[in-house]
Amino acid sequence: MLALRNREKIAIEALYDMYSSSLYGIISRIVLDVPTAEDVLQETFVKIWNSFASYSTEKGRLFTWMVNIARNLAIDKIRSKDFKNQNKNQELENNVTFIDEQRNTVYNPELLGIKELVETLKPEQKSILDLVYFKGYTHVEAADELGVPLGTIKTRLRMAIIQLRKHFN
Amino acid sequence: MEDIKAYIESGILELYVLGDITHDEKLQVEAMAAKHPAIKAELDEIERSMEQYAEHNAVEPDEQLRGRILNSLLTNLGDDSTFNKAEDFEDNVIALPASKPTNFYKYAFAACLALLIASGVALMNLYNKLQQSNTQLAVLQADKQHFANRVNFVENELGVLRDTTFRFLKLKATPKAPAGASIMIAWSKEKHKVMVDMANVKMPVNDKEHQYQLWALVGGKPVDLGVFDANPDSTDMKEMKTIAAVKTDAFAVTLEPRGGSVNPTMDQMMVLGKF
Repeated sequence: MLALRNREKIAIEALYDMYSSSLYGIISRIVLDVPTAEDVLQETFVKIWNSFASYSTEKGRLFTWMVNIARNLAIDKIRSKDFKNQNKNQELENNVTFIDEQRNTVYNPELLGIKELVETLKPEQKSILDLVYFKGYTHVEAADELGVPLGTIKTRLRMAIIQLRKHFN
Repeated sequence: MEDIKAYIESGILELYVLGDITHDEKLQVEAMAAKHPAIKAELDEIERSMEQYAEHNAVEPDEQLRGRILNSLLTNLGDDSTFNKAEDFEDNVIALPASKPTNFYKYAFAACLALLIASGVALMNLYNKLQQSNTQLAVLQADKQHFANRVNFVENELGVLRDTTFRFLKLKATPKAPAGASIMIAWSKEKHKVMVDMANVKMPVNDKEHQYQLWALVGGKPVDLGVFDANPDSTDMKEMKTIAAVKTDAFAVTLEPRGGSVNPTMDQMMVLGKF
């Protein structure tokens, strides 16, 4: 952390090695186009690097902070005009499963718990969590998308995360 | 405690971790977490879960991307350090000499200006002195010329006096002229020269229309020897026209219209003298 603050080379490398795949997992689910997703990952690290001074440990975990940067950049990218035009023909709804199927081959072999995990989450929990976490939906948009009340969305989100906590612990 | 439980169960902490929250709500959650360790702990739990969830859904980016991104960051870092160094360097440089050269040039400029003004004044003085000197020199040269002329002139006169061939003759007044009028002339037969000693022209001053004319009577005939003015200020020996004759009967002066006449007006003969 200190090395990061002091902007040392080794710190960037460590940061990249630790978090690039997790961040890319999120980015690549929001931005489907591979070169664009790679650009966004690069932008994310540049932004993390440049605004590192604004991160403080009191506000929460480093990863949460980085995920928010990555997600915001990715959402900005897909909402920018030229990107929308490029990808008009792609359906949004089924992207999560689509991506999962598409990239099965590049999944880390050590993360085999995924199947098990998917079973832990009820489908409606998973869909809401994925919409918000991986698709960059706000919970209001998710409520619209899924046709359920806002309160239900919040409850489901909380339940999903509680399930995750149980699973990981 | 009930409040905290309700707050936790409201689901806002989850939205906070997901970044799906307004800025104001975000600040509120942070304030609550700082106040209540239970909320902080709950937040931490949620964050951990999401982090792990993300890890489980991780996608390994292309190997080449690692080099690309790290390079761009390092280039950035390089830029940063260059920039920082440059800044430091500039700080160091600016602090000291920045004011120094300004002052130096200020003083240098002032000094140059003062020097320029001083030089200008000195130049003016010098110029005035030069002008004075030039004037004096001109005066002196004029004086010198005058004296040289004067010396030449006096030498000429002295030459006349020393020259033994000159003979002096005083022309005396005729009844026509006022009593005591006379003119002194010098004549050299050998050199065919006739001079009028203007210092010894004791004649009434002639008016603008008239001049005195000197004649020589050679063989009974008058020969024109030129005209002169009777001026009490002139003291020179005025050289008249050359005279070819070696023998003259007499010299005479008549008052003639200005420029002289071909023949003398005999009734205006003022002085006459014979050798």
